[in-house]
Amino acid sequence: MKRIAFNLMAWTIVLVTAFPLIWMVITSVKPQFELFRIPPTFWPEEITFEHYRRLLWETPFLLFMRNSLILSFSTTVLVVGVATLGAHSLVRFRYPGRERLAQLVLFTYLLPSVVLILPLYLMMVWLGVANSLLSLVIAYTSFALPYALWLLRSFMQGIPDDLESAALVDGATRMEAFFDVILPQALPGIISTSLFTFILSWNEYLYALVLVNTDSARPLTTGVMSMLVSSFNIEWSLLMAASVMMSVPLIIIFAVLQKYLTRGFGAGGVKG
Amino acid sequence: MTETTRSGLSRRSLGTALGAGAVALAAPGGARAQTPTTLRWWSPQTAPAQREAYNFQIRTFEEANPGVRVVFEATSDEGYPAQMAAAFASGQVPSVVTHLPHFAVATYWQNGLLEPFNDVINMIGTSNFYEGANRIYEITPGQFAGTGIGNSAANMMWLRRDLMQRANIAEAPRTWDQLRDACRRMQGGGVFGAPLPYARNSMTSLIFICFVHGAGGSIFTPDLQVNVDNDAFRNALEFYKSMRELCPPGATNYSWGESLTAFVAGATATGIYTGRVLANVAAQNPRIADSVTCARYPTISTNVAPWTFNDFPSVMIPKVAPNMALAKRFAAHLFRADGYIRQLHAAPGHVLPVLKTISAMPQYQENALIQKYRAEVDLMSESAAAGHNLGWESTRHRPNTAAGRIIASHVLAEAVQRYVINNEPMAAVVSTTAQRLEALMRG
Amino acid sequence: MLGVMLIAPCVLIFCAVIVYPLVSAVYLSLFNIFTPTLKGNFVGFQNYADLFAGEEFWRSLFNTLVWTVCTLFLQVVLGVAAALMLHQAIVFRALARSLILFPYFVSTVVAVLVWRWLFNDLYGILNHLMMWSGLLQMPLDWLGSMPNAMVSIVLVGAWKYFPFVVIAILARLQTIPDQLYEAATIDGAGAWARFTDVTLPQLKDVLMVVVLLRAIWDFKEFDLIYLMTGGGPLISTQTLPLMVYKEAFGLDAMGRATAVAVAMMAVMLVFMVLYLRRMGKEEAR
Repeated sequence: MKRIAFNLMAWTIVLVTAFPLIWMVITSVKPQFELFRIPPTFWPEEITFEHYRRLLWETPFLLFMRNSLILSFSTTVLVVGVATLGAHSLVRFRYPGRERLAQLVLFTYLLPSVVLILPLYLMMVWLGVANSLLSLVIAYTSFALPYALWLLRSFMQGIPDDLESAALVDGATRMEAFFDVILPQALPGIISTSLFTFILSWNEYLYALVLVNTDSARPLTTGVMSMLVSSFNIEWSLLMAASVMMSVPLIIIFAVLQKYLTRGFGAGGVKG
Repeated sequence: MTETTRSGLSRRSLGTALGAGAVALAAPGGARAQTPTTLRWWSPQTAPAQREAYNFQIRTFEEANPGVRVVFEATSDEGYPAQMAAAFASGQVPSVVTHLPHFAVATYWQNGLLEPFNDVINMIGTSNFYEGANRIYEITPGQFAGTGIGNSAANMMWLRRDLMQRANIAEAPRTWDQLRDACRRMQGGGVFGAPLPYARNSMTSLIFICFVHGAGGSIFTPDLQVNVDNDAFRNALEFYKSMRELCPPGATNYSWGESLTAFVAGATATGIYTGRVLANVAAQNPRIADSVTCARYPTISTNVAPWTFNDFPSVMIPKVAPNMALAKRFAAHLFRADGYIRQLHAAPGHVLPVLKTISAMPQYQENALIQKYRAEVDLMSESAAAGHNLGWESTRHRPNTAAGRIIASHVLAEAVQRYVINNEPMAAVVSTTAQRLEALMRG
Repeated sequence: MLGVMLIAPCVLIFCAVIVYPLVSAVYLSLFNIFTPTLKGNFVGFQNYADLFAGEEFWRSLFNTLVWTVCTLFLQVVLGVAAALMLHQAIVFRALARSLILFPYFVSTVVAVLVWRWLFNDLYGILNHLMMWSGLLQMPLDWLGSMPNAMVSIVLVGAWKYFPFVVIAILARLQTIPDQLYEAATIDGAGAWARFTDVTLPQLKDVLMVVVLLRAIWDFKEFDLIYLMTGGGPLISTQTLPLMVYKEAFGLDAMGRATAVAVAMMAVMLVFMVLYLRRMGKEEAR
């Protein structure tokens, strides 16, 4: 009896939390004229996939999707690669200024993105990559790298020192020890950091709004907004369909990697 | 490209700050090649039908100029200030920018960022324009900062004949009292009177300016002194407040999109917008299509003539744009009849022709919506041609190059919110508004 | 030597994308600058003086603090509660977890759009449901009046970000040894006592870090508030990042904008140093 009551309560909470998302799905299959009913209908009187069709075939949605995927993958690979090496160095090596550096990482994290925009833009122009996906990848490292470094450092602190020492005694070089011993141990942490980095870049809005304005380099967040929300129309039904589809890749990735997400976090315990 | 980058950055004092590193390193790294014949066209107006028309214009231009490529790049109403700033600061500018409001052009011109538009206007043919159509762009005597790619009548009063009939209203309201009365009679059963904005955004500022003019006032005097401490401004605030109960509860967050949709979806009995209403009604709510009509927005009394808000959607060319001669030819090409008419037909009545030669063409009039709403379109064209905005409040006014900053500062929208939502006393609202406007005019 | 080589790419990138913009921000804040040309003249600390003398900065700072504290508090409370709940055996636990974590995964743009659709005064389901159940007489103006607007963004912020806390706590919960609970039960502790005596002390470490990370983020939040209310009504929900954006790109005053940003960083820095010191003390104990 108590079990059932608890289950009921738990699921009510879950459904309330998920309601906006459920409503997003329901809205996306309602025909446009039904949206502006007063009072609104709850279940669609008529189900239509017209919005999805229009989005996929009549708009650059798929192009934006491709851009977002390339952008998020490249950012993740770059950031996590660099940060793994950096975190390893911060945790296992001794050199002057190491502790300061770790604190500085957190400090750089304080900088609001809004002020970085113009200097970054000028830098992109100077590098000759303005208005391209690459410029966004570089810009995204400004917020993703401190975060990834910070997370990975705490994961790596959770890996016992003796593992590496044992490998070194066996005659491995430090780099071999890193690849053979540390990396496998840190893998759950690396996967979960990658996931967080991916989410950050997939969802970024402000840099994408300012730094890029050709369709061939525009990611989903700003692409969908500027395509469907304008001063003379807000295409609610298309927006909801787009929202559903923007979330699909994340659902897939999340479903595959869910167990790493919490395990990774547990491994090191997020420690300061 | 590097040339422009470098000169853009090395301009005096601060450029050096950001550019110090860049300039030093730009020399060796400057081999960045850009195809010499690529033109970049920016616009925030990107509805699918408009994009189709743009593609047609691009195609015809590329066919006439082999080896030239034109790339269309969408900017947005929220994003363009930052993007234009970034483009100007870096020297990597688009070749042609269309559909920004006139006052944005004025600001850039004032700071020496734009190429004079005289050549393009001559290519289009000075005598083809409506009388005085380019006066608003003549900020420096003899030189034009840009030209209009269209006219707009943004504060037309949209009405539903069916609702008027039901409420026994014989004709379109002419004065504020009649408007308020009509809204009151038509409100009910889930329908509100009007979708006026009370938000902290540019629409609220821009629409409120229309009401100040509707009260016979202006925000600035003709020689650009702040002019808000007077009866006209107070009457406008007072009336605007009295309309609050006739607007939907969410009007405190309305911008153009919400306001338009409210009327088109049938949630309000009157609307305030451009001719875009016609296309949207046809597409989204055809059952009211036969009863939709428009009139010029009412004023405080019949003694005050209606004032039309035309934001003069513009065309401009940045001074440092590469391939200048080609850019100018392309800007002129946008006005060639076949493509221009397609652009106008993408949303009939929304953007109105600036060329009288086009208005007269049968190809322009051969459009289902323009034919169906002949009277409305004519009224809008006529009103827009005599329209004004904060950058040029009346024919007697000097151009106001601070207009863009004033709208972006939300000073006027905040005056509305203080008085209507926060119920602050009138005297305090007026004096704060005056002070802030003066500060903005000082720069 | 190898250690330095490994950290070198990180340091280089930091210098390029963070330190250089940061230095130029501090430098710019001493000038009066027109954004599109980046031209301007030196004004010393005038930008700061104007800032601290005016009301807007203080009001925005106040808003930022209200928003950060409220939404952070809700995130932590909801996050811990949801994590405890999801740690129990409930039917379809994997699905329940996914649904709870999902708000964190959807992009802010999507979240804001969906919520604005829910909040819509005319066609929004929220007003309709509340009127139908008798909670409301008239549609509520969720985003355009105070205090509703602040409450709305705080709630949406909490909804969007509490899953982050859930993830961290859930991970930690899985590592608490069962023996601790068994021992406590033998000692006669009830459910609540077990929570306060066993669970909470175990969660403390991870909570400290989560609060730090989330606080920094919430303080810097731009997208959600900008897209939700744009800072209105008046400047009641204008936080410091929105003020920076408005000064920089609305009013074309880059100098003043960077001054706001630098001041904002100083405020965060003070909080962070205090917090880290406190954290260090706790750990030493």
